[in-house]
Amino acid sequence: MEPVFKKRVSKATILKLQRKNSFEQSMMLPAVVKGLGVTLRHFFNNVAGGERSEAVTVQYPEEKFPYPPRYRGLHRLMHREDGAVRCVACMCCPTACPAHCITIIPEETGNGNEKRPAVFEIDELRCIVCGLCVEACPCDAIRMDTGAHAHPSENRANAILNKIDLLKNATLNDKDPHSTAIQGGVPAWRDTNKTP
Amino acid sequence: MSDLIRLKIDGQELTCEKGVNVLEAAKQIGAPISYFCYHPGLSSPAVCRQCLVEVKGQPKLVPSCYTPVAENMEVLTQSEKVLTARQQMLEFTLANHPVDCPICDKAGECTLQKMYSEWDGSHSRIDMDKKHKPKVKDLGPHIVLDAERCILCTRCIRVCNEVAKDPQLTMAWRGDREQLTTSPGEQLDNPYSINTVDVCPVGALTSKDFRFSMRAWELYTTPSVCTGCATGCSDEIHHAKGEIHRLVPRENPDVNKFWMCDEGRFTYKEVRVRRVAVSQLKGQVASFKSAISTAAKGLLSLIDAKQMQLAGIVLNAQASNEDNYVLAKVARALGIENVYLAGRPDQPDFADDILRKSDRNPNTFGARAIGEWMGKPKTTAQLADDLNRGALKALWMLGDHIALDERAVGALDRLEVAIYQSPHENFISEHVSVLLPASGWAEIDGTVTNFKGITQRLRASVEPPGEARPHHELIAMVAAELGVAIEYPNTKSIFFEMSKTVPAFGHASFGREAPPIQLRFAGSRG
Amino acid sequence: MGILYLFLVPAIAFSALSAGLVFLFGIGLPWIATHSWGTWAMSIWFTALIKMALLLLGIVLPIASLLTWMERKQSAKMQDRIGPNRAAILGATMWGIPHFIADAVKMIMKEDFVPAKANKFLFSIAPLLAVVPVLVTFAIIPFGSDACTGQLFKVVTDTAACGETIPFQVARLDVGLLFYFAIASLAVYGTTLAGWASYNKWSLLGGLRASSQMMSYEVTMGLAILGAFLVFGTLEPSAIVVAQGPNPIHWGIVSQPLGAILFFTAAVAETKRTPFDLPEGESEVIGYFVEYSGMRFGVFFLAEFMEVIFLAAIMTTIFFGGWQVPGLYADGFHIFGNYNMAHGLVLFLQTAFWGMKIMFFCWFQLMIRWTLPRFRPDQLMRLGWKQLLPASLFNIVLTAAVVLWLESK
Repeated sequence: MEPVFKKRVSKATILKLQRKNSFEQSMMLPAVVKGLGVTLRHFFNNVAGGERSEAVTVQYPEEKFPYPPRYRGLHRLMHREDGAVRCVACMCCPTACPAHCITIIPEETGNGNEKRPAVFEIDELRCIVCGLCVEACPCDAIRMDTGAHAHPSENRANAILNKIDLLKNATLNDKDPHSTAIQGGVPAWRDTNKTP
Repeated sequence: MSDLIRLKIDGQELTCEKGVNVLEAAKQIGAPISYFCYHPGLSSPAVCRQCLVEVKGQPKLVPSCYTPVAENMEVLTQSEKVLTARQQMLEFTLANHPVDCPICDKAGECTLQKMYSEWDGSHSRIDMDKKHKPKVKDLGPHIVLDAERCILCTRCIRVCNEVAKDPQLTMAWRGDREQLTTSPGEQLDNPYSINTVDVCPVGALTSKDFRFSMRAWELYTTPSVCTGCATGCSDEIHHAKGEIHRLVPRENPDVNKFWMCDEGRFTYKEVRVRRVAVSQLKGQVASFKSAISTAAKGLLSLIDAKQMQLAGIVLNAQASNEDNYVLAKVARALGIENVYLAGRPDQPDFADDILRKSDRNPNTFGARAIGEWMGKPKTTAQLADDLNRGALKALWMLGDHIALDERAVGALDRLEVAIYQSPHENFISEHVSVLLPASGWAEIDGTVTNFKGITQRLRASVEPPGEARPHHELIAMVAAELGVAIEYPNTKSIFFEMSKTVPAFGHASFGREAPPIQLRFAGSRG
Repeated sequence: MGILYLFLVPAIAFSALSAGLVFLFGIGLPWIATHSWGTWAMSIWFTALIKMALLLLGIVLPIASLLTWMERKQSAKMQDRIGPNRAAILGATMWGIPHFIADAVKMIMKEDFVPAKANKFLFSIAPLLAVVPVLVTFAIIPFGSDACTGQLFKVVTDTAACGETIPFQVARLDVGLLFYFAIASLAVYGTTLAGWASYNKWSLLGGLRASSQMMSYEVTMGLAILGAFLVFGTLEPSAIVVAQGPNPIHWGIVSQPLGAILFFTAAVAETKRTPFDLPEGESEVIGYFVEYSGMRFGVFFLAEFMEVIFLAAIMTTIFFGGWQVPGLYADGFHIFGNYNMAHGLVLFLQTAFWGMKIMFFCWFQLMIRWTLPRFRPDQLMRLGWKQLLPASLFNIVLTAAVVLWLESK
């Protein structure tokens, strides 16, 4: 297409392209009739219903679209076998968090676990659901696999989930609060018994 | 024969002094050598075997930290043999290391982490259980030991032996059961004990004060000076989100080398205690403006009555040179001749012959020099005497410590005007007519001069609370109302004026600017 | 099943309405008039009032509010969606029809907000200026043939000869369509004032866009319909309908196809609906009623849908035989044989069929609205002045020549 207007402004070039209309297009009416044909076909197919219906609407509250397995939803904090929080307050997730939505204050446990979060808060309003906290966690303690959305709340304070809320989330949607995953998979040499 | 020795490291020729070891010589040309047990401030036991290098003509690799340089020596630090040895030594060191970095306080500033990522980076090949040793072992009032993390470098033992001169730590057992422990009947309680945490290349020794409060990479570091005593150890203020979390020593061969006493490290705790955040007039909270004008009015009445011999200023060894100088300059302009020197009282039991001095003020030298530039400075005892006699009507004091007894402090009430600029509330602040909020040592830019006459730089690391601002700004504001116009764009300009006028500072330098940097970019310590 | 409610629901509604109309005018009012206390019942003013009320309250307003539901449902069907299906009365969702009631309740309950610096009087009066002209113009629409009172159950061959009649039309004006143009052009005040009184630059721009568009297309609209005037020789709507007759061959669409298309296009532009919705531009361009909320906005909204109905009515009247049913004469069907019918039944069928035509054109306008994308302002003006206007002039000249030729023959 040949530009009808060409002008160079600093580093950019402005081109104006003119599409040549065919007679049929400039008449407009045939195109309108053609478009009406398409919409009419869909209209009558859907009005007829049954097998001819092309609607793909999901009736949300009654039926739900299944989320993909790696869907990132509401956070949860995993449990140890005795129900204690698995998190060791290593601060990797607030460090990785680009939105600065995680607040952790660590404390000594006094038992073999040595360190745990005294305060663990996630501001779900700030969270951008990027999943970097899950990537950063060395203990598989924080996960976003609940498949749930952040709950609506009437004030901002309610959108901040504390440690208790997050530990409760561990059992959301019948998830196992104790499950463990191998981070990064099994190293190759363990299978082949070769030195790296 | 000269003391300079010529040798070749990685094919690069260099000269260095006799007696220097190969590791230090390699540092000169920037050849990377990894090491754990060597510390430039301590002796070299060559126990970690991490610094092995190849020397031409020697059948085996030699530990570079233990090998002095020799004429025409040819050293290889990057040969394949050396790199293999380095990687294998790291693997050996890590054999029983728990790798619990998420919990470990040292993570982020750990030498082992750094060396592993630089020289090894491979998966563990050990598929049996690691040795278990005591985890949270109390070594003393300030130190907790995790023996599993310990890589047996003995740096902490040498710190106790060579720096604190108090052999409280030792190794016990042998082989993979070897672990650090306190000497029989001892606990780690010498006044330099937290230096063991600094030198520890891993997270085996942790300070109870700092433990689990912050991760190293979240901290920002600002170089500053310890204000605990007249030694003025160079230190770094580690702070985050406007709060100071710890002080660590900074290398300064002239003053403190690599070390710092425990007492000095804890001086940060007082920064935010009992602060004066708003101005007060006779104990009542007042607006900043009214406090300044009240102070100025009090002095003006004396100036109008031509009674300047009844006015006095108190320079303080706790305040910086610049603050003292500006007050002295204003006093000169007003014709005040009574100059007193104040500060914390001496504490003879604090002194030792390592770093600590009985004079607990950071700037006694500087304050005296400025006092002498003004005239003949009088002592705090003379100030008490003058107050009791009623020889003063107005007094302008820098805070915060002034060693006055109760009777003299009571006499402050009878003064026509007593201006007291202080960061902290204390027993004097209740008796003065004008109390102005001043910034503390961690919040100001300025210099202090230690007992040797070495001038060092304080740098602002955190924001002052409330209306508090540096002493010299407060002085300038009061002076402006008195008709003495002094204005400085920054502390640096005060310093340069002072170094020209006050002879004692003729050769001092202000020091470079050092904005806070995040510790994660500052490399590992220890 | 869906097809049932789409066509059966309006059909049943209109049948019921038509039956009511026929009963009222054929039996109800004459019966009242026979009594000494009810002579007023057959007076021209009272019948006009009744007709106006029935037409507006019984047909136009219900359909207009129903169209809000219909538009949503129909667009959903066209876009492979399901559309409104949640609002329910006592648990009955009825294909989502109660949604228009929910909409109305929402609009009435919403805050009546007036911008701080707006001209409060003009701001309040603008929606009325938009809606009143549309309501008034319905007066000229004939929705059935003349009813011969008292002869509902007899076969009537000529309604003009049966003596006392009640016209199924509110006002039989000789100027007819000119009255429509005069009143409809007042609607532009509503939109322009709304844009100006809001004290908002963008709504002012929207108002200006609206006025320029409506003025431009009124020219074409008037000229496009001139051809029909020439053909039928009258401006009076019911006379036009009578002239067209029950045979579809004589309907306006056959003699004036170009005029019909031009008029329809220009009239759609007058209603300010897609593809000519630049003045309001619901989603992208900010329109003249951006500052309106609640029922004030609702009035604009209703006015728009009433314009849709009026356009359907005027299209039906001029080009599609109005209330005429193909083959149905005053005395019954004359197609494939003669079937005489009672006058009441004929009236009922004609009015019901008129209603079905209205519904069809409303539906067709919704189809257009959800099929075509919006024009750009320059395209809009080019289409109006450079394409539609010359075409309508050509149509007039051609029609005039043909009419002249036929008359001279």
